[in-house]
Amino acid sequence: MNLGISALKYVEEIKNGSFTVEEFISNTIEQIKKHDGKLHAYLSIIEKTIEQAKNLDRKIRNKEKIGTCYGMPVSIKDNICVKGAKTTCASKMLENFVAPYDATVVSKLKSEDAILLGKVNLDEFAMGMTTEFSAFGPTRNPWNVDYVPGGSSGGSAVSVRAYECIASLGSDTGGSVRNPASFCSVVGFKPTYGLISRYGLISYANSIEQIGPITRTVEDAAFLLNIISGIDPNDDTTIDNKNEDYLLNIDAGVEGKKIGIIKEMVSQGTDKAVVSATNDSVKKFENLGATIEEISLDMVDYSVASYYTITSTEAGSNLARYDNLRYGFDFPLEGYEFNSYISKARKNFGPEVTRRLIVGGFVPSAGYAGKYFLKALKVKKKLTDEINEAFKKVDFLIAPTVPILPFKIGEKIDDPVALFLIDFNTVTANLTGKPAISVPFAISNNLPIGIQLIADSMQDKSLLQAGYALQQTVKLPEVPI
Amino acid sequence: MEYLVTREEIEKVAKLMRIELDDHTVHIDRVQKMIDYFDILDKAGIESTEFDVHEKSINELREDKHIPYDDVLVKKLKNFKGNYIRAPKMV
Amino acid sequence: MTKIGLEIHCQLTNLNSKLFCSCKADYRGFEPNTNICPICIGLPGSLPRLNKKALEKATLIAMALNCNTPEKLAFFRKNYFYPDLPKNFQITQLNVYGEYSIGHNGKVLVDDKEIRIRRIQLEEDPGRLIYEGTSEKTQITLVDYNRAGTPLVEIVTEPDFENERQVRLFLNILSDLLENLDVSNPSLEGAMRADGNISIKGGNKVEIKNVNSFHDLEKALRFEITRQESLVSRNIPIEQETRHWDDRRKITVSARSKEGEEDYRYFLEGDIPWILIDSQTLAKLKNDVPESISSKKERYISKYNIPEQVAEVLSSDKFYSDMFEQAHDESNAKDVANLITTDLMGLVDTKEKRDKSKLTPKHLVELVYAIESNKITRTSAKNALIEIIKTGKPLSEIITKLDLGHLSNESELAKIIEEIISQEKKAVEEAKINPQAVNYLVGKVMQKTKGKADPSLTLNIIKKKLSS
Repeated sequence: MNLGISALKYVEEIKNGSFTVEEFISNTIEQIKKHDGKLHAYLSIIEKTIEQAKNLDRKIRNKEKIGTCYGMPVSIKDNICVKGAKTTCASKMLENFVAPYDATVVSKLKSEDAILLGKVNLDEFAMGMTTEFSAFGPTRNPWNVDYVPGGSSGGSAVSVRAYECIASLGSDTGGSVRNPASFCSVVGFKPTYGLISRYGLISYANSIEQIGPITRTVEDAAFLLNIISGIDPNDDTTIDNKNEDYLLNIDAGVEGKKIGIIKEMVSQGTDKAVVSATNDSVKKFENLGATIEEISLDMVDYSVASYYTITSTEAGSNLARYDNLRYGFDFPLEGYEFNSYISKARKNFGPEVTRRLIVGGFVPSAGYAGKYFLKALKVKKKLTDEINEAFKKVDFLIAPTVPILPFKIGEKIDDPVALFLIDFNTVTANLTGKPAISVPFAISNNLPIGIQLIADSMQDKSLLQAGYALQQTVKLPEVPI
Repeated sequence: MEYLVTREEIEKVAKLMRIELDDHTVHIDRVQKMIDYFDILDKAGIESTEFDVHEKSINELREDKHIPYDDVLVKKLKNFKGNYIRAPKMV
Repeated sequence: MTKIGLEIHCQLTNLNSKLFCSCKADYRGFEPNTNICPICIGLPGSLPRLNKKALEKATLIAMALNCNTPEKLAFFRKNYFYPDLPKNFQITQLNVYGEYSIGHNGKVLVDDKEIRIRRIQLEEDPGRLIYEGTSEKTQITLVDYNRAGTPLVEIVTEPDFENERQVRLFLNILSDLLENLDVSNPSLEGAMRADGNISIKGGNKVEIKNVNSFHDLEKALRFEITRQESLVSRNIPIEQETRHWDDRRKITVSARSKEGEEDYRYFLEGDIPWILIDSQTLAKLKNDVPESISSKKERYISKYNIPEQVAEVLSSDKFYSDMFEQAHDESNAKDVANLITTDLMGLVDTKEKRDKSKLTPKHLVELVYAIESNKITRTSAKNALIEIIKTGKPLSEIITKLDLGHLSNESELAKIIEEIISQEKKAVEEAKINPQAVNYLVGKVMQKTKGKADPSLTLNIIKKKLSS
């Protein structure tokens, strides 16, 4: 059975009766058993999915109404709440936490009859770009298992690339959906801020993060976006997208569109192969009838500093609730007083999270707030103004998703600033709230390169159209598993 | 290097964030590296004092209705004595 | 020169739901941890949902206290660790970035003194802690989150109060306002908490915390002023510090200094957008601001010619002024006011009595009319009221049942007076000499007729008979 089909193809085949839901789910579970021991994308498998599949098959046979997902297997990043399932954020702090409610995006998928196969790995509390900071071991890149899959949604990207599910939901704070998508050669989409409800997403940096779909095709991302987007009364930061249909006319093309290359994102420090791929993608767009120009956003040079200042501050606050009193892990209270107990309990955070919490306590604190935090907010505002100006001239912005190729596990883990710079091209979209997509474009020495497109706020539909157009210009090799 | 991070400050912040640290020196070094990097913000040339805001009208907010939560939540939490959550002693 | 400033927290207990979720705003009476949900417990992934009515009511309070209300409001996080704080931060409006809370720079006139309101803000209440064992030997702390998320309005004044009397009057105005707006019941335990700061004779400022009712605040202030004056008289300098009100011993005690100063790392609450209150909504809200006590008083005096003393009593108690507003019309206003502030007052002066009372404004209207039209004497009115309050029956029934009618039939009255005169021969003789003694006879007639006799008519008839 070809597990590598797209979501849309899956739905078509189920409707045709080419195979049953149960067959597909069983085969997918076999695939997980076969490969995940090595790849380690999944942290936990959800029970009774075969029963769910059988139930859906019965409904299909009886011609009963069924949701648009037709039982397709989906994996969920383990920082998104699934009722009754462990939701650990890849952290020992939440080792035993079972979510008592569904995230809005999960409810929506369930009501469309998607089958949630399991929770997938991430950098602890979504802080990282390589999935090496998971408390439960790294996830490996299926293109080369000695290499990082990117992060923080590494489990999502790998489970999709290795056919361990059809699609996944990840979260993107500074590139965490686009970066692993690029490193694993799948599609990663970060919507306009507010398009997808964050209710049930365990917060890291709530003012800029979004849930985003990771899929094998751009159309699949649009298909999922139709299901999970929209205003949610449970999340006051969501905006009304008036039930936009993101799949409709996805092949509209880019004839006459103007595309701007972000100068600062293809500068020194960008890998030669990545530069070359970027130039190719630009040529492809020209061939499709778009015009290209160079755009300079000079605040981009300060975006990483601004990003880490803001996110460490928010993380410091969002992670304060993890004091092991109401939920967490086993650690008896006897003999401790309050402050010493929680300080000891919070030693259970991994080293990267601890580092960021220390910075997050430092940066906004009374003496330094003006020096770092306020400046970071001003950079964020100025960057937003610059990108808004750019969108008066162009329809899309283009840049490589990650300036470098995937690297070996353990290679960069000790250099915090080097790690920061992996996010150099992606944090801009988060800071400014703009939608962005990473489309798999090239393979160099068996290592994937993704191209990133950014559009103006609420232009998610046209962004998907541009992404689709780019996708259709390349035929990439199969992943060697 | 405009700002020197001291061990004292790391201790103070660790206390503020309620995290017991085994090795302060590791953090002194790392935080120093990050703060040095953040110093780049000084060169950004930002004059404006406004921040970005997401806005909503008062009329779009939640109506004031009492809707009891439909689950016995306290049984799903830990450390409960009777119906109470337990916390360590306060000094 | 004594300077007192106040920081008051009022729970908006009359709202239906909490500030950020749909659990009940008034948590009293629930079993521990049964008035909770993922939001007020701060479960991972939960998000706050701001209560529209809380914002409206808080804006009304701000307007009633003459504050500036900004176009855009924001919420911020105050970060600190405590077991009653489920997220280990409180969502509040205090911040270091600017004036974004519900009201600023207001003022209230208290007894001719202008008290400036620095700031009014909305914030959430934490949960409650219960200690097992005495404080010293406490081994464990028990936490009940039922209260977590209850809406609070915090009102901070400048240190403009000069004495406790002004504080008392201000608190009365505030209680009245909160009741009028139907946001809060100030008599509920814990619904109002107040902290104060006092400095005397230009000395150091002392903060008083942990005062759990308005009543206790006065006591605490009185104690603290006395304490400070005593120190000053002995030339001992007053330390700038925070003291706690010990309700058991009725004294203030120095609070053990907390381990270092807490740094709250205030920053914008990213899960709540900035709220815009458009001018239309503001205008509509302004209409709903209840009339202030002083404005009511003025209106009663100028419009209905009600004497100042009566107007004062009527306006300063919502129960009476509501009764008045519903019972009066152009013609009977003065009489209704009079009836409320004389006969009625003693009968419904406590919450218990008011809760039990079956009196309606309609009763008052009937009563005033009955007195006007001589169906019942003014003196019988009190007895009638007692019965009305007890049974709520219509006045006509009560007049019959208690035999309270008005005897003004001259011949009937004359007969009774004849009887009295023949019985009280001695008094009659006295009355012929001493006109004042006539009142004794009138009294006897009233007794005999159970108060029904028309007093002036009785007096006239008796006088006539005596002189004949």
